[in-house]
Amino acid sequence: MKALLGIAAASAWNRRGTLALVVLSIALATALLLALERLRTDIRSSFSQAVSGTDLVIGARTGPVQLMLYAVFRVGGATNQISMDGVRAVAAHRAVAWVVPLALGDSHRGFPVLGTSTEYFQRFLYGERQPLVLAQGRAFAGTLDGLYEAVLGAEVADALGYGLGQRITLTHGLQASGLAAEHADKPFTVVGVLARTGTPVDRTVHVSLQAIEAIHLDWAGGAPIPGLAIPAEAARKFDLEPKAVTAALVGLKNRVAVFNVQRFVADYEAEPLLAVLPGVALDELWQAVGLGERALLALSGLVALVSLAGLVAVVLAGLNERRRELAVLRAVGAGPRHVLALLALEGALVTGAGALLGAAAAAAAVVATQPWVQQSFGITLQPGAPTAAQWALFGAVLAAGMLASLVPGWRAYRLSLADGLSPRL
Amino acid sequence: MKNAFATLPARALAAGAALALPAALVALAGALLLPAAAQAQARDGVPLMKPPLQGAAPPATTPATPASPAAPRTIQWEALVPPNWDPFKDFKDLNFQLLDDGDPRAVKMLKRMREVWDSAPANPAIEGQSVRIPGFVVPLEDSKEGLKEFLLVPYFGACIHSPPPPANQIIHVLPRTPAKGLRSMDTVWVSGPIRAVRTDSYMGMSGYRIEAVQVAPYEEKRR
Repeated sequence: MKALLGIAAASAWNRRGTLALVVLSIALATALLLALERLRTDIRSSFSQAVSGTDLVIGARTGPVQLMLYAVFRVGGATNQISMDGVRAVAAHRAVAWVVPLALGDSHRGFPVLGTSTEYFQRFLYGERQPLVLAQGRAFAGTLDGLYEAVLGAEVADALGYGLGQRITLTHGLQASGLAAEHADKPFTVVGVLARTGTPVDRTVHVSLQAIEAIHLDWAGGAPIPGLAIPAEAARKFDLEPKAVTAALVGLKNRVAVFNVQRFVADYEAEPLLAVLPGVALDELWQAVGLGERALLALSGLVALVSLAGLVAVVLAGLNERRRELAVLRAVGAGPRHVLALLALEGALVTGAGALLGAAAAAAAVVATQPWVQQSFGITLQPGAPTAAQWALFGAVLAAGMLASLVPGWRAYRLSLADGLSPRL
Repeated sequence: MKNAFATLPARALAAGAALALPAALVALAGALLLPAAAQAQARDGVPLMKPPLQGAAPPATTPATPASPAAPRTIQWEALVPPNWDPFKDFKDLNFQLLDDGDPRAVKMLKRMREVWDSAPANPAIEGQSVRIPGFVVPLEDSKEGLKEFLLVPYFGACIHSPPPPANQIIHVLPRTPAKGLRSMDTVWVSGPIRAVRTDSYMGMSGYRIEAVQVAPYEEKRR
């Protein structure tokens, strides 16, 4: 067997030009399969880690998935605002322990700005009930004196190179094009930077709800009112209590009451509201996304099949030029079984090399793109030990490659002893 | 249908909504009577909601061979309701048939019933017992290892469709080891000691909690 392996390896090396191409195509297919699987698991875990300890998310009537996407993941936009009266009514419900309002819609150089209450820093949990931790500085004061204070997520601070004391201006809307209108007259001071969480919080600039009100005082209909400019200092004299917010996170005293509160919110008569259980909404999202995921996985499976078909074709085509080689082997005493084993081994070697190369390429790609993916999408890729599904895919590629190499093996097995020894001219 | 079809669309809509009200009341009544489902059907001919997930082996009779003390007892959702609790105590004099469509009294009744339902008491007899119960999963806390907290409810869609189940028909499950591969509305068997949890801050609101030793997929036939 060992001798056969040596012969197979030496023979394959002799035809390394063509086989290298086959190895490359198998490597690419394997890398595609493995990277896709990694992406799929990491996107899921990123999303499910993004919020914890929150029993309900409330917002304007839209789909549960949509509400979760814009309120928690900062993907897409809100369909409507909800009034603070509605939020207060929910907060007054006897089963509700706390409510944290969220006001979205502005941005700073492409990073979303979140207006919220100071309670956010105590109540918001992520991952497995982990609280937010300040890496530097402190939370914004939430008072009139500290009106223009901002707390940055870790990614914002890293990507833009900001530290404490940095002055920033907010942009109206969510585009970082430089075309959008700036709230340049009311700059904010960075007073805190949060530790990295691996969630959308990292990409968020946090300010107080009153600050959001203040920067929009002299705005109407989505543009600054001509001739009206309220200086930053004068803004403090206005009523800065927010009238409406985008969404709110709700925590309950007893989680069993979650359906009652959900029902209460749905039946709230003063305005149409929606309350969703984060876990249920996420499951709905996976149901919708699952179809696309399966289609992608099936496609990469097909790519793997095509490259294995390439392997079979190359080895089969090679058989003709190797008639001499095989015949000589037969002449020195190799049986048909040995020839079969030789070709199967060659196939296994090629597939093995391709799959290993592919796995390495996938791992390298994950490591290389990790910072970019984190910054652009807020998804934390975890280059590390392969998941069970990745092992399964890797094994499937190897097994399929060995099976496929039995085809040329069988063909060689059927060649007669005399076949290659009597040259046809 | 009155003359809803003949009138303006807006009026037709309003009439439809009004017609639905007493129907909702009847459905609510049916659901409230679930613990005594068969009885209710015989008494009122009330159309019932989907029956709750049944335990495959009703523990009505004691088994011939005594189970080991550690083996949890398989129970049904009815066991969570105190035997003497009558949700209709306050509604004895009410005749649904006499209520007109959109009757303000019907709307009021619906609200009252909701309150009775929300404060449905726990069954003291079941407290502390090691039980095994089937139900649907509503996920609460997800982690990489699996679900760390979820609610167990007796009917499919209990959280999405109206109305939600009463407090004593919801179990807060805390699996000892996170339950992997569960999605919302999957059916499972949950076994472990059951406790009634009463939060004083929420008037009368009680519920059950199981620190689940085992969470297993539900199968129709018990092997």
